[in-house]
Amino acid sequence: GATELRLSHQWSSKDIRHQVAQIVADEVAAAGVDLEIKIFGSKSLFKPREQYKPLSRGQLDMTVLPLSYAGGQQPAYNLTLMPGLVKNHDHAARLSHSPFMEALEAKMAEDDVMVLVHGYLAGGFAGKDKCITKPEDVKGLQTRAAGKSFEQMLAGADASIASMASSEIYNAMQTGVLQAANTSSSSFVSYRIYEQVSCYTPAGDVALWFMYQPLLMNKRTFDGLSEAQQNALVAAAEKAEAFYMEEAKSQDAASAKVFRDAGVEIAEMSVEDFDAWRALAMETSYAKFVEEVADGQALLDLALAVE
Amino acid sequence: MDPLLLGAIVAIVTILVLFSGVSVAIGLLIVSAGFLLVFDGARSLELMPELLFGKLDNFALLSIPMFIIMGASIASTRAGADLYEALERWLTRVPGGLVVSNLGACALFAAMSGSSPATCAAIGKMGIPEMRKRGYPDGVAAGSIAAGGTLGILIPPSVTMIVYGIATETSIGRLFLAGVIPGLLLVTLFMAWSLYSTWKSGEASRLGAGSYTWAERFEILPRVLPFLGIIIGVLYAMYGGIATPSETAAVGALLCLLIAMIIYKLWNPKDLWVVLRDSTKESVMILFIIAAAGVFSYMLSSLFITQSIAEWIGTLDVNRWVLMGVVNVFLLIAGFFLPPVAVILMAAPILLPIIDTAGFDPIWFAVVLTINMEIGLISPPVGLNLYVINGIAPDISLKTILTGSLPFVACMVLAIILLCLFPGLATWLPNVVMGVAL
Amino acid sequence: MAGHGSAVASHTGNNLFLRVVAALSTLAGWCSAGMIVSAVAITCQMIIVRFVLNGSTIWQTEAVIYLVIAATLVGLPYVQRLRGHVNVDLIPLALPPRPRFFMAILTSVLSISIVSIMLFYGYDYWHFAWDRGWRSDTVWGVRLWIPYLALPVGFGLLLLQLIADLVAVLTGIDKPFGLEDT
Ligand code: NA
Ligand code: NA
Repeated sequence: GATELRLSHQWSSKDIRHQVAQIVADEVAAAGVDLEIKIFGSKSLFKPREQYKPLSRGQLDMTVLPLSYAGGQQPAYNLTLMPGLVKNHDHAARLSHSPFMEALEAKMAEDDVMVLVHGYLAGGFAGKDKCITKPEDVKGLQTRAAGKSFEQMLAGADASIASMASSEIYNAMQTGVLQAANTSSSSFVSYRIYEQVSCYTPAGDVALWFMYQPLLMNKRTFDGLSEAQQNALVAAAEKAEAFYMEEAKSQDAASAKVFRDAGVEIAEMSVEDFDAWRALAMETSYAKFVEEVADGQALLDLALAVE
Repeated sequence: MDPLLLGAIVAIVTILVLFSGVSVAIGLLIVSAGFLLVFDGARSLELMPELLFGKLDNFALLSIPMFIIMGASIASTRAGADLYEALERWLTRVPGGLVVSNLGACALFAAMSGSSPATCAAIGKMGIPEMRKRGYPDGVAAGSIAAGGTLGILIPPSVTMIVYGIATETSIGRLFLAGVIPGLLLVTLFMAWSLYSTWKSGEASRLGAGSYTWAERFEILPRVLPFLGIIIGVLYAMYGGIATPSETAAVGALLCLLIAMIIYKLWNPKDLWVVLRDSTKESVMILFIIAAAGVFSYMLSSLFITQSIAEWIGTLDVNRWVLMGVVNVFLLIAGFFLPPVAVILMAAPILLPIIDTAGFDPIWFAVVLTINMEIGLISPPVGLNLYVINGIAPDISLKTILTGSLPFVACMVLAIILLCLFPGLATWLPNVVMGVAL
Repeated sequence: MAGHGSAVASHTGNNLFLRVVAALSTLAGWCSAGMIVSAVAITCQMIIVRFVLNGSTIWQTEAVIYLVIAATLVGLPYVQRLRGHVNVDLIPLALPPRPRFFMAILTSVLSISIVSIMLFYGYDYWHFAWDRGWRSDTVWGVRLWIPYLALPVGFGLLLLQLIADLVAVLTGIDKPFGLEDT
């Protein structure tokens, strides 16, 4: 019978990342190459952060994953969630096809992992009592940050870091445990954070928070497929990548609209604010990254070289 | 193989394995390994330790040992007796007042303990001998405490609600609040039944015995204050912006340990070890079941059983209340045999899509499910509370305890019916305190 | 009536092996309880740091999670020794003594097999994490082999206790399923 591949992800069927996986599955099925992709969404198979290990060991065939989740396995991946490294969605697309990404893909190959669909999603800040646009704004606030590098940068801005899952932000804000949070545009909407905050700073012309969330596949499994099957997968992935990029752009605006409609003030991050954050990140998270990762400086230079 | 048929086979095999006397957690691992081996290949066994570890990798689980320590430390002192004595001195005029004060003490104790057996043991140790001494029938004495003890998992904090919250990703703070009014409703029903049956037996005058002066009544009050302190402290920490529910549990555990040590002079390391040993035993047992159930639900999902059942239910064209009735019967039967935590974890992935498609509120459903589990705690063949009572009063036969608790089971069924008629009983309080949302 | 967690520990008689295993399991139980107490202390410290001092809490959440996991896994043999793992012995209860004895052997062997599998792949997973130098993806960045160590240790000790329980039944030191003959 047909070869069956198992794809796992953590999102609901309405999420853009599910749609990306669905496009690949549908296209491959339509190609008629005896290949079927079975999607296990909504963490029904693995917990979000438990997906990279089975993927790397061939126990899972495919996943859509924020690559920084695997930063503990490959510290270089932390570069895919660095404050201010990506300026906007077009810049993100250029990064995805650059020597920088080739270097990261070489790291993935060490773990038997390869990229099928590249893609970045953006995010912003939300404040319970005030707007957060520049580093001074978070001083003394109990803040939840998405990702290690953001925690380091915000700690550098004298915020107090409270680590918790994005699903806990709502309750923590409601009871006052938390005063500020940073996560992806789609999480802000899906966890209805607009009911708890007074101000939202979405990703706009410039955005601080970009997260690389590719569709990954086990390399050995890919190599084991027939040439026709491989070609079908690659063609499907190309189509999905174009869709991913367009949708990612519209998500930011959509999240801002949801917050505005809920009566939340919308703040904008100016270029000066962005530069202030980035200067702070250079001293904190970038410095820490270079210190922790053996070839960190070389990788960072590759990333910064992308115009 | 058709996933639905496969699902039926899994169900039958699971029942057989679990009834074989093997421990529940290990049984779940055996069944999971067997089906993964046959349908997913030998390599899927590699994943089992990783899945088990991953299931436990959750901060909210911390609250389970914490709420168990809370109950165990208080239960190891005279606190339960004090609580119950205070209520008794104030309620002595009421015919059948002793049962009423015992039930009241159970409800109050439940607000400090996350587990039902702990509640049952704490109040029963003093309450059962006292009731028997005053001439209450054995069945009434044992049954009321067995049933009153089940309130431990309905009135917050509740280990069962935490596990439900984790399995379904619903707010634990909300779930706790949802249990308050149904808990009070149940205790009222229990009390009403006790008063009615005492009155009907015509022995009300004799059972009213014991009289206290006002001095005696006020003298006992200070001894109840620490508990009110703990309850208020925990509630304040949880809903006042100091800590998340899981963190609050640690505060509660520490407070209870301190009160036990300072006020009740629980200094002796040996006594402290007993508290710790019992809490560790119960926590490890529950957490192991949670972990093993995680592997089990991976197996169900990997074999596409969960997804197929959800899909199949979606295509059924039946009235949502018929569906709810079927779900209740299923839960009731599962509760007869399995501990609440195992039922919730095994059933949640299957039941939730049903609840969702039929448009029931998951918070409301948590309360219905918990009352079903309470019935399971006082019904054969595995009724944890029955064994606790049996341990406290070995000379009362299990049969007597069982018949004694039957009327209380009827009260619980009535409570479920009331909840179906008036869902607001469960959903009103969380909505008022935490706002309508999510 | 079905089984439940009675406070009675399994019997060891004068058998040296059984007594050594019992001692190991008890030691594991102390460690487990100790880890739970540490989790309480760390959580309270975290609340104070955050609420009273308005400081950052970087490592506490993670430390507490790993402590509770380790307490669970390392506590397994002790709870087994105390017969604290809840079970449903409907079938054994319905059986006469002889078949019940064989049923006990069967369930024992099944339990030993599955725990051996967990031990084997648990060790494998631990070793993989050690070999690859995996860390957690947080600022604290714990070396993951440390928490993963609880897998081989916990299941290894549980395996010993299960074997000891089987030996006790085979040598007649303990009754099948701990049930008295009726
Ligand atoms: Na309770
Ligand atoms: Na039962």
